[in-house]
Parts: sequence; C-alpha cells; structure tokens
Amino acid sequence: MSDPLLVLDRVGKVYRRGRLSRETAFRLDIDRSFAGRQIVGVLGPNGAGKTTLFEMIAGSNQPTSGQVRIAGQDIHRVRPRERDRLAIHYHQSYQVRRFRHLRPAWLMERAASPYPLVHLFDEPQFNTQDGYIGFMLDFFRRLKGEDRLVFVCLHPTAPFQIDILREICDRFLFVGGGAVRGFDDLPAAVAEPAVRRYLGALADHAEAEPTV
Amino acid sequence: MAPLFEARGLHLRFGDRVVLEDVSLAFPAGTLSGIMGPNGAGKTTCFNVLTGRYRPDRGQVLFGGRDITGMAPHRIARLGIARSFQLMNLFDEFSVFENVAVALPATRRRVADPVGRAYGEPATVAAAMAVLERVGLADRADQPAKSLPYGARRALEIAVALASDPQLLFLDEPTAGLGSDGRARLAELIRALKRHVTIVVIEHDMDFLFGLADEISVIHWGQVIARGTPAELKANPWVMASKLGDGA
Repeated sequence: MSDPLLVLDRVGKVYRRGRLSRETAFRLDIDRSFAGRQIVGVLGPNGAGKTTLFEMIAGSNQPTSGQVRIAGQDIHRVRPRERDRLAIHYHQSYQVRRFRHLRPAWLMERAASPYPLVHLFDEPQFNTQDGYIGFMLDFFRRLKGEDRLVFVCLHPTAPFQIDILREICDRFLFVGGGAVRGFDDLPAAVAEPAVRRYLGALADHAEAEPTV
Repeated sequence: MAPLFEARGLHLRFGDRVVLEDVSLAFPAGTLSGIMGPNGAGKTTCFNVLTGRYRPDRGQVLFGGRDITGMAPHRIARLGIARSFQLMNLFDEFSVFENVAVALPATRRRVADPVGRAYGEPATVAAAMAVLERVGLADRADQPAKSLPYGARRALEIAVALASDPQLLFLDEPTAGLGSDGRARLAELIRALKRHVTIVVIEHDMDFLFGLADEISVIHWGQVIARGTPAELKANPWVMASKLGDGA
C-alpha cells in the first residue's frame, strides 16, 4: 500500500548551545502520518516548535534525524525552489528564517506535483471586524475538498479563535515539551492537562458545546 | 461570450516566495469587477501582472482574446487598457485641464511640443473638457492640480486614465486616503462610468466594492480564495457577523 500523503518518519530536531557542553536547547520529535483531505489544527505555546515543525514539513529546515515524505518524495531531496509544489508554508514576515542549501539544485529531484499538496498556515491573521475570516475558512475547506492536507497553526488568545478551530479542524496536534500529541477533537485535546494549562481561561470555552 | 479580459493560471515567485499561485480571473465587457483582499494579500502584485509591469512565471493574460502576457505596459496601454495607481501620478504644477490634455491620444501623437500648440486646438479643448465633464471637474479646469482637495485629485487621476478612451479601466485602491464623503463621491463617479467602460477596481475596503461591483474575487496568500457577487459574498456568516453585516 502506498504511503499516506504526509509521513513524518521518526523526525527529530535538536538545537544545542555551548561549544563544549553541547547542552540541548531545543528538541522536537514526531513520528506520525497524515492522509490528505483533512484540516489539522496545531496548538502549542510560543517557542514549543510549531513553526519549526512547519519548516521541516515545507523543507526549509532540515531535521536532525528522520525523513519527511510527501506523496512518497523526501522533501529535503527535492530542489529547494520546487519544494512548495509539495508543501507550502504561509507565514508572517517576522517568522521568515533563511536556511542555506548546500547541495546544488541540479543534483536534486524535481517535485512530482505541479501544485502544493500540503498547505501550512502559520498563525494566519484573523480579524473579526473585516469579514475576511469567512473567506479564509472557506478556502481551507476548498483545499480539503481538493484532497489537500491543510494545517492551521493558531495560538488562541480569544474565544472566537477557539470557535474557528472547532468549526474547521478534523483533528488537532499539540506541540509542547519536545513532543507532538494528536487528538481527534477539541474536547479530547482539552482533557489533556498540558493542553488545558496552555489554553488557560479558554479551556472552558473549548470544552463547551458550540453556541452557533 | 468570451470575457474582454482574462487571466489564466498566473504563477509568480519573488526569489523563494510564491506571490501568485494559480490565479485565474475573468472580466466580462461592460461590467465592474472587484478584486479585494487584506493588506499584503498580493492584490497589487496581481494588478501589476495584469497590466504588464511584471511578467508571470506561468500563465496567460488575454485581452479581447489576444495574448498580452509579458507585453510592455505602454503597449498594453495602447491596446486600450488604462490604469490608475495607489499613489497618485499627476503633474502638480500643471492645470487640471493640462493634466488631461497631455494624456489625450491626439496630444501624445505630437512628439515635438505636445504641450504648447496642441492645447489651444479646439478639438483638444473639447475632448479634454468632455472628459473633465464626466468626472465633474469641468469647472476646475484652470486650477493647478496641486490646489485640488484629495478626493478631487482622485477624480482627476481617473480623468487622466479616461483621456486615452480605454476599453478597460483598472483602478488600484481608489479610496486610499479618502474620508467617507470622498468615498461616497468616488463611488458615485465610478457608478456613472460603469455603463460606458469595463472597470476593474482593486480595493481592501469591502464595503466600497459591495456597493459597486458585479462580481468580486477575494485574493489572499496570492490566491483567489473566494469569488462571487456581492450578495453571495455577503451571505457568508462571518461577513454577516462583522461590521459589514450591519449594513454599514
């Protein structure tokens, strides 16, 4: 049987500090697969590694270990300019980090897809005043309907952001403590103490039945 | 019927960044189409591809069925497409009349001394005054452009674009810098022009477009994320829940 659309095969990222002690400053491990045609909500505190996870999936940040495969292709073996044909990372300008690619592009594989298969929305700006949210959510749903895999990373600070997650996400990931945990719905995520602590006052809103 | 202007599958990247991803748009003759999106969504980049400033990496731009992809902006203008800019391009020291007269095709054909002699010719005066009449600036023809209030400057910019007698008029963020009165007057002006020329307006002000456009494409992340008539787009529950939903 063929792979699911996205496979994070024993992926690990470690940042170390100190020249001699090489103390671990950051670590993130994930071993998980995702089929297409779904929207995955990604939660987690600042600095936990949400953006690093997206960068590894999009191929801009090389994992320390393991492999990221999209439609069977190891994204880090694909030509850098063509990686967004497999996974595209939509981020804020302040989130942009540049990574060097040491291998010449012509030695690398071509992307097998003409359009992005995995869409990674990194903290999209939702403003309840202007009405664009509705079109953004419809767009996520359209991508899902076209068999793409959509990740929406949010750091909820207001109840409406919880409502958005509940409205559109098929499942959830929580990035924290160096690991990534998966949940089938929002109440299941909130039942986890680490997620409840992270959401703080919003946890009760996340547990409640939707009002609309 | 084939649209007057069409973009098919436009793709553009700046370095590592995708700025337009598979953008397709169609503007039928005689309609007013809107392109809207939040700031930084790629609206102006899209506009610049449509009007020839940027050449797309992939995709086609067609005007009257003719492929104009990557054609230089001045050649596109000669085919009958005019555009206004987000930041106004006027000759401040010239009079209102002169700003329009210099943009008339008859004047522009005179390579030597386009300003001096051509201005006095009855045909030029009549043509320029007719354009100023359309935008409501005929009684200010002799004033220097710099003396006009902001809203009137917007109208003059539209007059300059209309002077070339285009089939298609692109307006880039026409409400930029205008207060509510100015917006209402501009909306009135655009509505009056609508029957005579095909218009495409790029705006981030949804309310302005909802009152004017026949069809609107919503651009975000360099892609068309939604498309529909104002009524269809307004029916979105999040739009209804926003300040736009109050009929503001």
